[in-house]
Amino acid sequence: MAENQKQNYLTHPKGIMSWLLTLDHKRIGLMYLFGGIIFFFLGGVLALGMRLELAAPGNDFVSNDTYNNMYTLHGAIMIFLFIIPAIPGALGNILLPLMLGAKDVAFPRLNLASFYIYTIGALFVMYTIISGGVDTGWTFYTPYSTTSTSNVIPMTMGIFVIGFSSILTGLNFIATIHKMRIPGLTWYKLPLFVWALYGTSLVQITATPVIAITMVLLILERLLGIGIFDPALGGDPVLYQHFFWFYSHPAVYIMILPAFGIISEIIPVHSRKKVWGYKFIAFSTLSIAFIGFLVWGHHMFTSGQSVFSQIVFSFITYFVGIPTGVKIFSWMLTMYKGQVSFTPPMLYALSFLFLFTIGGLTGIFLGAVALDIHLHDTYFVVAHFHYVMQGGTIIAFLGGLHHWWPKSMGTMYNQTVASICCLGVFLGFNGTFFPQFLLGLRGMPRRYATYDQQFAELHNYSSFWSGILGLSIFISIMNLLWSLRKNNKLDPGTNPWGGMTLEWTHTTSPPHPHNFEEEPVLEHGPYDYDKVIVEPTFKK
Amino acid sequence: MSHDNSSPKFLQHHFHDVEQQYETAKLGMWAFILTEVLTFGGLFVAYVVYRSWYPEMFVGANLLLDVNKGLLNTIVLITSSLTMVLAVWAIQKKNQKLSLFMLIATFLFAFMFLGIKYLEYSHKFEVGQLPGEYYSYMGPEIAHLNNPHIFFSIYFIMTGLHGLHVAIGMGLIAWLIYATAKGNLNSEYYTPMEMIGIFWHLVDLIWIYLFPLFYLI
Amino acid sequence: MSEHHITPLKTYLAVAGTLFFLTAVTVWVSYFDFGSFNIIIAMGVATMKASIVALFFMHLLWDDKKNLTMFVMSLMFLGIFITVTLLDTGFRGGVNSEVEYPINNRATFYDSLPLTDTHGHPVDEHSADQHGEDEDHH
Repeated sequence: MAENQKQNYLTHPKGIMSWLLTLDHKRIGLMYLFGGIIFFFLGGVLALGMRLELAAPGNDFVSNDTYNNMYTLHGAIMIFLFIIPAIPGALGNILLPLMLGAKDVAFPRLNLASFYIYTIGALFVMYTIISGGVDTGWTFYTPYSTTSTSNVIPMTMGIFVIGFSSILTGLNFIATIHKMRIPGLTWYKLPLFVWALYGTSLVQITATPVIAITMVLLILERLLGIGIFDPALGGDPVLYQHFFWFYSHPAVYIMILPAFGIISEIIPVHSRKKVWGYKFIAFSTLSIAFIGFLVWGHHMFTSGQSVFSQIVFSFITYFVGIPTGVKIFSWMLTMYKGQVSFTPPMLYALSFLFLFTIGGLTGIFLGAVALDIHLHDTYFVVAHFHYVMQGGTIIAFLGGLHHWWPKSMGTMYNQTVASICCLGVFLGFNGTFFPQFLLGLRGMPRRYATYDQQFAELHNYSSFWSGILGLSIFISIMNLLWSLRKNNKLDPGTNPWGGMTLEWTHTTSPPHPHNFEEEPVLEHGPYDYDKVIVEPTFKK
Repeated sequence: MSHDNSSPKFLQHHFHDVEQQYETAKLGMWAFILTEVLTFGGLFVAYVVYRSWYPEMFVGANLLLDVNKGLLNTIVLITSSLTMVLAVWAIQKKNQKLSLFMLIATFLFAFMFLGIKYLEYSHKFEVGQLPGEYYSYMGPEIAHLNNPHIFFSIYFIMTGLHGLHVAIGMGLIAWLIYATAKGNLNSEYYTPMEMIGIFWHLVDLIWIYLFPLFYLI
Repeated sequence: MSEHHITPLKTYLAVAGTLFFLTAVTVWVSYFDFGSFNIIIAMGVATMKASIVALFFMHLLWDDKKNLTMFVMSLMFLGIFITVTLLDTGFRGGVNSEVEYPINNRATFYDSLPLTDTHGHPVDEHSADQHGEDEDHH
């Protein structure tokens, strides 16, 4: 065992260059995790700054211009630098080849390149922040983005560059899932996280090229006045919105599908029960990915697009609810009569179910044209997408991080602290964002640093709970990092939750540098808790 | 089973066998082609939308482009596609010399394409048929039509992006010439040549659409 | 990799010949005016050429069908992008007729542009008017 412990990917090979030039998917995944957490922190600080400003009605903390910069950077950093790369880039990279029984992803060098492209994009964004920020909102709507004097070009360049990183990761995962599975691991025996990554990757490679070309057109519009999006030159700003949302609506599914995948892993493992409706969950992933391409116009109900397309977009939008509902019910039926243990990952998964359902159902409100005319650009929208993005994706990400932390780092965090933090996140989140639904219904518009006295109480409430939320997330991350202290190593054979997928049953924690000492032989499906007994093992 | 001494040196450690490596590379390449199609796709959407808004202007403006140069470029590019595919064919047939010759021919045709494109562009710069605000050509054929600068914006962006792909393709083909001359690519292992070939045919395929869209209709 | 399909030389030459022929056809056809069919004919021929390139030069005909699926998928998503965008841009003005066309049907910078001859050199308005009058006399 002692010899085995030395042979893991974290300690072998040694040296800083062996990390920076590594082709090992697990190390690349950890580097993504590191980058993602840094930007998560930065975006979180901006968010808390905004809540501080909004605690009272007047301009008491920052100026209007600074506030405009803050919400733009908060949105852009959270979406492009954290949420989109975090789950596929970090957890996906670490887990995908392990779940397939492969030694690595299909194109390891491309994988490393994709991380460095992400870094270059991040540098562009950092440059934007240092040189004075950008105030257009993360959507860069024309004509304001073509006339604003803030740093639109470096920011959009950054997004353009990060797009390539996303494309290369997606391409790599598709080739990996198709070609790198061990013999016998057929499509219906794949863990559901792999299905989720497959759907995500398909969206990544189909939608991301369009944002790349959109950003190029926007930059050219600013530099050369090409007149495609600028109304003063005969262009059409609504066309810009079509281009932008053709990417950015599917991008919502780039963000949420991997979260669905994580939840589909956590729930059966911690309920010790075979997943209910495997094929339903798998195919609902693909159908969400597909329907996601047909509904982008529901972001544009007040933009002046044709009434005909409003009706079409509104109609198709409701279809997204079907596969999403199928998933929610499948997860609930998986827990039904299972032996549910309330471990930290499972607590996160349960919070996800609750919060994502609220996020999804309020999405139905916004999908209805007539209601959206009233709610568009109010705090109702802000609350809705935070319930989906933070209540959905980030909560699932934290759950996944807690679930696979012992696997990828070989240590166990303090579970009591983690559970308390999870409760803090859940309460803080609801306290922050539920009042915003009410604010939105009463007509409080988004993106303003000041507001009318009548909104003060709800805003104040929201600001207070945002502090609890921020603190809980911070402590939970610190709790994870604290587990890395010396002499806290787990036994390499540990399987703390009794997982059945290959990464739990066939390799050590943390895994061997080449993933498996010898190629694993598939003995059972990913969730065969009815046929095989895998006991949770946990020892230091 | 893949780490015995008999496995060829171009086989990367994480694949079982040569066939798996080849198939994986090809699938990855096609996923990349998909992203390329959609990158150009955005510009096609812009073309279609503006053509539907300004039909007369598009018809009027495409008469300002030189059909002969466009036709010549089409022929050059199709020929280069043929030489590229023959380079792969030759190396499959173990004829490295012929393959090398075909690659060099492809490279030269690509260069010729860019040369003709340069002549076209420099004429446009001279007469002021430029994208966006830099547009200044108000000749008698076009002066009465609305917003011809949008046509030239789309023309320059699409052909410019296509030209960029030709230039990147030339770089890749130059590397193929080097690798084939050194003997790194042979009838046992020619995956990079086939992949770059697919990329090169895509460049041809996009031009097949650009030519009628801008020069003919 | 000797077991891979090797396409006979004749096929490649025939394919290239067809491509040249279709290029000639599309140029020749463009000299006639079929009204709105011009676009359909040109795009039809281009699509034939593109399919030939994809099937033979890019080997999709003999390849694993996954690759063909990938290619067809790209065209399908492009099709979605174009059609659904046209649902908006082609049907504007149903409620407010002023949004039916782009906001600036003729960009303002044209007002300050001088008329030019076919070489892009400015011609002064007066001689251009006279030129017009000359034509009327004919």
